[in-house]
Amino acid sequence: MSLNDRLKELRENGINDAKRAQHLQDLNDLRVQLLGKKGPITQALRGMKDVPKEQRPEIGTLANNVKKDIQTAIESRIEEVNKRIIAQKLQEETLDVTLPAQSHEVGTKHILNQTIEDIEQFFIGLGYEVAPGYEVEEDHYNFERLNIPKDHPARDMQDTFYITNELLMRTQTSAQEGRDMDAHDFSKGPLKMISPGIVYRRDDDDATHSHQFHQLEGLVVDKNISMADLKGTLEALCRHVFGPDREIRFRPSFFPFTEPSVEVDVSCFNCGGEGCRICKYTGWIEVLGAGLTHPNVLEMSGIDSNVYSAFAFGLGPERFAMLKYGIDDIRDFYTNDVRFLEQFKGVN
Amino acid sequence: MKISIDWLKEYIPVTHTVEEIANKVSLTGIESAPVELGTDLSNLVVGHITSLKPHPDSDHLNLCQVDVGQAEYIQIVCGAPNVAEGQYVIVALDGANLPAGKEIKKGAIRGQESNGMICGLDELGVEESLVPKAFQKGIYVFPSVEEPGADAKELLGLNDQMVDLDITPNRADTLGMRGAAWEIGATYDEKPVFKDPVIDDSKVEDDDNLKINIEADDLVQDYLVRTIKNVQVAESPLWIQRRLWNQGIQPVNNIIDAANYVMIEYGEPIQVYDLDNLTDETISVEMATDGHKLNLGKDDTKDLNHDDLVINSGDQTLGLAGVVNGTSAQVDDDTRNILIESAVFDGTSVRKAAQRHDLRGDASNRFEKGVDTGAVEISLNRTVELIASITKIQSISQVIVGKQTPAEPTVIKASIDHVNRLMGITLSADEMIGILDRLGFSTEQNGDELTVTIPTRRWDMSIEADLIEEIMRIYGYENLQGTLPSGNETLGGYTPQREFINKLKNILLSEGMDETINFGLVSKQEARDFNYIDSEYTRVLHPMTEDHEFLRTSLIPGLIKNVAYNKARKNSDLSLFEEGRIFDRESGHDRPKEVEYIGGIITGKVGTDSWNTSAKEIDFYDVKGIVEELLSFVELDSEVEYRASKEIGNLHPGQTAAILFDDQVMGYVGKIHPEYQSAHSIDDAFVFELNVDKLLAQPKKNVKAMSAPKYPSVTRDLAILVAKNITSGEIVKQIFNDGGQYLKDVNIFDVYQGSNIENGHKSLGYHLIFQNSNDTLTYDTVEKAFTQIKTGLINKFNVEVR
Repeated sequence: MSLNDRLKELRENGINDAKRAQHLQDLNDLRVQLLGKKGPITQALRGMKDVPKEQRPEIGTLANNVKKDIQTAIESRIEEVNKRIIAQKLQEETLDVTLPAQSHEVGTKHILNQTIEDIEQFFIGLGYEVAPGYEVEEDHYNFERLNIPKDHPARDMQDTFYITNELLMRTQTSAQEGRDMDAHDFSKGPLKMISPGIVYRRDDDDATHSHQFHQLEGLVVDKNISMADLKGTLEALCRHVFGPDREIRFRPSFFPFTEPSVEVDVSCFNCGGEGCRICKYTGWIEVLGAGLTHPNVLEMSGIDSNVYSAFAFGLGPERFAMLKYGIDDIRDFYTNDVRFLEQFKGVN
Repeated sequence: MKISIDWLKEYIPVTHTVEEIANKVSLTGIESAPVELGTDLSNLVVGHITSLKPHPDSDHLNLCQVDVGQAEYIQIVCGAPNVAEGQYVIVALDGANLPAGKEIKKGAIRGQESNGMICGLDELGVEESLVPKAFQKGIYVFPSVEEPGADAKELLGLNDQMVDLDITPNRADTLGMRGAAWEIGATYDEKPVFKDPVIDDSKVEDDDNLKINIEADDLVQDYLVRTIKNVQVAESPLWIQRRLWNQGIQPVNNIIDAANYVMIEYGEPIQVYDLDNLTDETISVEMATDGHKLNLGKDDTKDLNHDDLVINSGDQTLGLAGVVNGTSAQVDDDTRNILIESAVFDGTSVRKAAQRHDLRGDASNRFEKGVDTGAVEISLNRTVELIASITKIQSISQVIVGKQTPAEPTVIKASIDHVNRLMGITLSADEMIGILDRLGFSTEQNGDELTVTIPTRRWDMSIEADLIEEIMRIYGYENLQGTLPSGNETLGGYTPQREFINKLKNILLSEGMDETINFGLVSKQEARDFNYIDSEYTRVLHPMTEDHEFLRTSLIPGLIKNVAYNKARKNSDLSLFEEGRIFDRESGHDRPKEVEYIGGIITGKVGTDSWNTSAKEIDFYDVKGIVEELLSFVELDSEVEYRASKEIGNLHPGQTAAILFDDQVMGYVGKIHPEYQSAHSIDDAFVFELNVDKLLAQPKKNVKAMSAPKYPSVTRDLAILVAKNITSGEIVKQIFNDGGQYLKDVNIFDVYQGSNIENGHKSLGYHLIFQNSNDTLTYDTVEKAFTQIKTGLINKFNVEVR
C-alpha cells in the first residue's frame, strides 16, 4: 500500500472511530492514540524516506490534512456527546413545579392601616402633613375649640369616656384642628394637614358600632380656600380610593365646627349609580362629612376669618374599608383572626 | 318629622311626587325619605250598621246588616265588643287587602254568611298605641256621619303621602308644618301662604283671677296663657284625628288634640290644663322642691329635684315644664274650663330634665333644639281658634302674660365678594337676593354689602357663614365645579416619628408577622398584668363594661387575647405584632403620657411541615432573632444589651431579657410564664415589647461610607469550657475588651452542655474575625491579640481553653 493510500485509510478509520465513540473518555483516548507522537500517522510518515523527493510536499500536506480531519471529527463528536450528556442531565433534573415551595411568608398589614396609609399617600402627594394627635385629649380641644360649648347636646356624658371633668378619650380626630392651627406659622404658607387616629365613643360593641374606631381628619387653612376647593379635593380623594369614574355630591348637613357643612356621597362603585344592594338602590353612598371651617373655630386660634378661610373633612377608615371590601361586621377589625387579617395581603 | 303632602297643600302647591320631593330636599336642605301610607290596603269603605242581632251559635259574635252604599245591605259577622247599631265603621269588602298580605273573602262564620270584615284601625296598620283609647280593643267608629260606601282609606288619611325630614339639630325650624312649607317651598321657588288665626272678639272677656308667677326667670323666656270657659270635651273631628295619628300622636280629646295639632302646625309645644283643678287659680313656674312627686297616672310617678323646672299651682305640680303634664290638672271628659299655655323654656334645662326622667318626647325635642320665639302668641291664639272651631265655648280670656320677651329678627351683613370667594363661584347680587327671598329673608344692597333680615323662625342664622350655606344650598351644590387649593406650595409628609414607626412595622411584616389592632381600653387585670413601666392606672369615669375600663399600659395583653381567640379557632401557629399607644401616668398627674410602643407575640411552630421541610417549635431565640433584626435597622450608635431578667411579671424568669442601650431599658423579650399561659389557654408563647419613642430618641449611628476591605481577614476559632452561669454576652464583651483594634467580629458557633462536659459547665465555641483595612495582618499580630483574649477570659471567668 502506498503511503498515500495508507494515510487515506488512517483518515477513514479515524473518522469512523470518532463517530462511533460514546464517551468523552473514549474520544480523548482516540485523540491521543491517533494524533499523538506514537500514533499511526507519525508511524506512517517514517516511510517518507521511501517517497520520491518531488512527491514529499504533497504527502506532507496530505498528512496534515488527515490530522486536521480526524481532529475535527473528534471535536465535533465531543460536542455531540456533550449535548447528549446535558440533555440527559436536564431530563434527570426535571421537577414537579406544581409542588409547593418553601414558604418565606411576609406578614399582612392590618387592613385599617392599609386603608389609612393609602389615603395618607394620596394627601402627602398633594403636600399635606400627617399630624399625629392625642388619644387622651382635653375637653378644651375635643369640644370647646370646635365650637361645641359646655351645654351642647354632643357633649353628653353618655357619649364620651371622660377621665376627669377636663380630660377625655377623644371622640373625634377633629380635636387636632385647634392644636395644629395654634402651632402653624402662617407666614410660612398654608396649613395643609391630615390627622388619622383612634377615637372612642361610649357605644356598645355590635356589628355596626365599636367603642373604639378610627377617624382621619383633614384641614386646609389659607387665604381664599373655598367650597369648590373642598369639592375638588374630595372628588380626587374618592376617585383615588373608589375608582377613577366616581362622582361625588354634597348634601347640606350640620356640624358645629363647619359652616356650611355637607355630607359627601360617592357614586356607587358597585353598580356605577344604577342602584344596588350596597347603595341601597340610591346610586350613592355616604362616605364622609365636611365643610368650611366655622369662623369661630378660626378666631379661637387667632386666625382672622376675614382674611383666611379653611375647609375640613372627617372620614372613617372602618367605613371605607367595610364599603370597599364588603366587610359587614366592624368587630372583625379588632378580634384579629388571622384568617380575616391575611386575606388583605397586598390589596393596597 | 313627617310632612303630610295633604297638609302641605294648604300652604304651597305640590306638583311633584314624594320621591322627587324627598330627593330634591335631601340635596338642598334636609335629608329626607318618601313615605307612602296604606300601600297594602284596598277595598275599604264606610259602612253604616243599620241593625244587629246576636249570632245564633255564638255568645260573642253579632250579625250586622251593613249599608256599604250598594243596592242591598250586606251581612257581616262581627266579634268586636264595641260594635253597635247606628255606627259608621270601616268595612273591608270581599277581596279587600289588609297589611301583611291578609285578604278578606266572603264566607260563612259558624254557619252564618259574612260578606266582609268590620275593622279596627290596628288592622289597617295603624300602630295600636296611636289608636284612640276607646277603639283600641275593638273596631274603629267614625266620629260623625259619613257616606256609606265612601273610600274609608281616604277618610282615615291612609292615602296620604309624606316626606320624612331627618333634621340636623340646627334645622328644628322644620319641626312644624309651617317651617317645613318654607323649606320645601324655597326648594321649588314657591312662597307659602298662611292664614293668621282669627278669634271671635265677642267672646273675649277679662280673666283677672288668674295669677302667674315666673320664679325661675332665667329658664323661662316667654310664658303666655289664655283660658276658655265652658268647653265641651269630646272626640275630635276625623280630620284632626287622622293628621295626628299620621304624625305618631294618639288622639285623646278635642282639647288635647287641638294643642297637639298646633304643635305640629307651628312647631310650638302647647299645653292645656283643667283650670278648675288649679289651687287658688295661681300658676308658678319654678324649680321643684326636692322630694316632690309628679303623678303621671297608673302608678307612674317621678321624683322631682331642685334641677327640675316645673309648673306648680299651690302645692301641686301640674307638669314638668316643656316635658310632660301630670294628671292633677289633666283635661278629661269632666273638664269644663281650660287653661292653654304657650311658652319658651330653656332648651338645656328641658333636655336634661327629659333625660333625667326618661321622658323625651315631642315637646322636649322641640324645646331642646329651639322654637320660634316670634310665634309664641300666634300659636296660642291658633289653639284658641281651633278649639273654638271644633267645640262650643262660652268665653275666652285675654292673653295673660307671665313673661314675654320681644322677638327681634336677626340682621346679618355680608359681602357679595366674600360670599362668592368662599363658595368658589360668581353669583350676582340679584341672584343672591333672589335666593334669600325664596327663604323669606329680606335683603338690602349697598354696593358690595348685603344687609339681610332673618325672620325669627330661622333662629339658627347668625353670621355671614350661615348666609353662605343658605345661598349655596339653594343655588345647588351640583352646580359647584371642583378645584384644588391654589396657594403656596407645601412640602407635606410624615413626622420623623411616623417615618420611624413605618420602618419598624415594615421590618416586622417582612419577618412574617401579621399586624393587629387592639383596644386602648382594657380590663383592670389587663392593665396590671404587664405594667412593667410601673405606670399609675388611668380609669375612665363611666366605662361601658369592666372589659374596657382602664387605659392600657402594655401591648402584650391584647396580643395574648388575639392568640387565645385564634387558638380557639384552630389557628395555632401565630406571629402577630401591634404598634400603638400605651398610657403611662405619673402619680400626681391626671393626664397620662402617650407612648408609642411596638410589641409582638409568636407561638406554635416556625416554618411548615411540608414535603421537603419540617416545622420546628418556636423558642426564645426565634423571638430574639426578630428583635435583633428589628434593632439592626434602628442604626443606634451603641450596642444592644440583653440582660437576663427575672423581675418582669408574668414572664418566664429564666427566659426573659431586658433590652438595653447604654444602660437604658428599651423593652424586653421573653417567654410567657407557664402559669399565665395556662390561665389564658394559650400554648407556649414568646413576646417582645419596645418603646418606640425611646428608640427614636437615641443618638443615631453616623454612617460614613468606606470601600470594601482590600486585605483579607483572618479567622481564629476559640473553644472554651466555662461555668454554666456565665452568659455568652459577658464572654463576648470580654473578648472585645481584650481583642485589640483588629478584632472585627465574634460569632458563636457552638453551645454544648451534657455528657463529657464537667458538671455545672458548658462548652462554647466562637469564630473570631480579625481584619486590618489598611494592611495585611501578620501572624504575630493576630496571635498576640488571640493570646490576650484567652488570658483575659481565663483571668476573668476562669475558663478552660480547649
